Amino acid sequence: MSGIVWHIFTFGVIGIFLIVLTYRTLAIIRLPIHLRWELAPIPHEKGKGRYGGSYLEDYEWWNKPQHRSLIAPMIYMAKEILLLRGVWKHYTALWPFTFSLHMGIYLIAGMLFLQVVNAVLLIAQSPLYVLDFSLGIASVFALGGYLLGSLGTIGLLLKRSLDPNLRPFNTISTYVNLLLLGAVFISGGYAWLHSGDFISNMSLFMKSLITFDTGLTVTFPLSLHIVTALLFILYLPLTDMIHFIAKFFTYHSIRWDDKPQDEKMEQELNALLTQPVSWSAPHVKAYGKKSWVDIATAEMRDEKKS
Amino acid sequence: MKKNLKLTDFSKGGERQLTEVNINELIPLPPPYDKIEELPEFKRLTDEQRERLVCNLDGVVSYAALPKPKNKKKEKKYVEQFVSGLKKLLSKENNWTFLQPLLLSLDYCAQCQTCNDACPVYLASGKNDLYRPTYRSEIFRRLVNKYAKPGGRLRAKLNKGDIELNWTTITRLYELSYRCNLCRRCAQSCPMGVDNALITRELRKLFSQELGWAPKELHEKGTVLQLEVGSPTGMKPHVAKDNLKFLDEDFTEATGIEISTPWDKEGADVLLMHSAGDIVSFPESPISFSILCNAAGVSWTLSSEIPGYDGVNYGLFYDDVQLAKIAIRHAQIAKKLKVKKIVMGECGHQHKAFMTVADRVFTGDLNIPRESVMTFLENIVFSGKIKFDSSKNDFSVTLHDPCNIVRNLGIVEPQRRILRYLCPQFREMQPHGVDNYCCGGGGGLSVMSDVNFTDWKVHVAGRMKFKQVLDAFSDQSGPEVKKYVCAPCLNCKLQFRDMFSYYGAREKSGIICSGLAELIVNAMVDIKKPFIEWKEY
Repeated sequence: MSGIVWHIFTFGVIGIFLIVLTYRTLAIIRLPIHLRWELAPIPHEKGKGRYGGSYLEDYEWWNKPQHRSLIAPMIYMAKEILLLRGVWKHYTALWPFTFSLHMGIYLIAGMLFLQVVNAVLLIAQSPLYVLDFSLGIASVFALGGYLLGSLGTIGLLLKRSLDPNLRPFNTISTYVNLLLLGAVFISGGYAWLHSGDFISNMSLFMKSLITFDTGLTVTFPLSLHIVTALLFILYLPLTDMIHFIAKFFTYHSIRWDDKPQDEKMEQELNALLTQPVSWSAPHVKAYGKKSWVDIATAEMRDEKKS
Repeated sequence: MKKNLKLTDFSKGGERQLTEVNINELIPLPPPYDKIEELPEFKRLTDEQRERLVCNLDGVVSYAALPKPKNKKKEKKYVEQFVSGLKKLLSKENNWTFLQPLLLSLDYCAQCQTCNDACPVYLASGKNDLYRPTYRSEIFRRLVNKYAKPGGRLRAKLNKGDIELNWTTITRLYELSYRCNLCRRCAQSCPMGVDNALITRELRKLFSQELGWAPKELHEKGTVLQLEVGSPTGMKPHVAKDNLKFLDEDFTEATGIEISTPWDKEGADVLLMHSAGDIVSFPESPISFSILCNAAGVSWTLSSEIPGYDGVNYGLFYDDVQLAKIAIRHAQIAKKLKVKKIVMGECGHQHKAFMTVADRVFTGDLNIPRESVMTFLENIVFSGKIKFDSSKNDFSVTLHDPCNIVRNLGIVEPQRRILRYLCPQFREMQPHGVDNYCCGGGGGLSVMSDVNFTDWKVHVAGRMKFKQVLDAFSDQSGPEVKKYVCAPCLNCKLQFRDMFSYYGAREKSGIICSGLAELIVNAMVDIKKPFIEWKEY
């Protein structure tokens, strides 16, 4: 593949990834405000979150200041994201596989970040010991990431295929997702083993992307890995694997959304409450002609008529 | 019967029953409840019932009035209505109330099955596949993806595991939506934040708001009756007032302490909203509140306006329209009485419906401050206005955490502070607090009793809780030791009453169940005779 094709392919994939991801994120953000549906424990409840308590435990809570912790939700999410606390607690038998897979992803993401740093260090002609140090860490991340990721993916594939608790829920996309992820990790491991100084070659590749140097050459194992990874990145935002985005909303906008109604909310609510409704059961009979307000405040005589 | 259910089995087999509750497979209970042969038999459907009713799920029927179409054309009509409902669930206009939570739960489940072991129904059933929280949700998810999203049919074919939508599928889904307590233990355990209980409620909502299918105890004899006459109990305002008056007089006569329950007192500080079911089934609860409020000098009132004397709101379990209608009428009554705040009675779902879920329905001056009975009682107990003697409560007490007060609202400690102060032998169940198990009556199930549904409730839905109660008292399991399960929620108490009566827990283990206010009154120094009577139900 020539240099210019690499540039077009790589930046094209990243562009599409960002566009689709942004579109899907905005689609979630733009959904209307919903009724409250919080679920304990809510970690931002200062002094109470640890046992699942909330501000509603205070006598005449509306007259009391609310103390919210910023740190506690971050610690909760860090445990959830990095250690997969929920799976450990509720499905320990699955944890080794899913933890390996996720840790593999985090390490590879970390390695990619470091490779961008390394490319900048190369461009800036930084002292060699700094670059060596950064390349060393990236190398550890890469090796750990490819190993853990491969083990996790293979383990999950086997577990999902053989475990009667999981197998009935598999679809073709379950396998496609795991196979593609596995291909990224395994091709990475293969490149690490067979492309000479893998980390240096990869940082040179990054450098050429950043500097728009079209004269880059990439070894076959590294090419195979980069193409596989880019295809996965292209596929990722089309799937439910973007739960890393959705999870923010399921926690912050639903489970932990215990905010009482305020003026800003009221404006939006008033608009929603006056929308036409078309549910057609006998006790509603809205047919697009009545609004939520009409229905909820209808006099009893109307109900008797229906 | 199929042992290992596939998702695709769900739409197959027509009238054939999909699976069955096998008593021998349920999790075992501790002695003396471990001998199946000594317990009442699980009521099986008769041949006549099988002929007459839709009973194609698990041999249990929760709604005898489910229509049974005579021909394919009528079946098709219902299926089309179901698809129409699916689309409405995904529309902003028709379902802004829960659109974001629903879509996130439908689109981002990782199928990791982490939630299954959190479900008391699934565990109690001996892990019957049908009762997995994910089984119902995944069927619904595949139907939504196939019939309510663009290109869904093609994607369903390519992705395998395609669920056919037919009469069998929708009737089974309807029944299955009432095999869940909506306790949200599954949601709590989900690493993604997916909420299978919410999906179940949305499914119930679709059936109710589009097809008009809902259990008669929740709809016709529930919310509709409440809006018409004031209460699902059928109790009219003057009857409620008469009952309370009788209770006041009875107490005054027995103790010499003058009690008078105030009604419709404009400008009172507090509008207290009991569950009217307490007046009928647990009268010691409302009279306890009258005693406590009077003794503490609280400026309070009850309302006799329809439906202000019954704080229940079954709409929470199945229908947003009914939920909003009742919540708004409750708020309108409080506004008319010009009270400073509304205090929930000992009723879990009332707390959730009125304090949080409906919070974003009360716009303008309907948004009157609303408070939990737990903090209200805690304030009375620790105000110093009433003298207590905790030795009067020197018997074993454990606390049941109603899901809607504890897991859903995070009100965990006030009731515990009261019990630690007034009950020397208070002990916790395991697990407790926000990790509690549902009583088995959650999600409206406690008031449902059609055909053989009560048998399912006591055998399966409430089994984990019954086991938990027995375990909590395992060091003194005999009937000679008095044991009190404090359940500050009417629906939970109804479920406990059914369970305890079914298993003979009063006779075999000396266990009774009642509320929190009764324990407080029982510890009052001014009341000489024991207030709690260790009678049979």
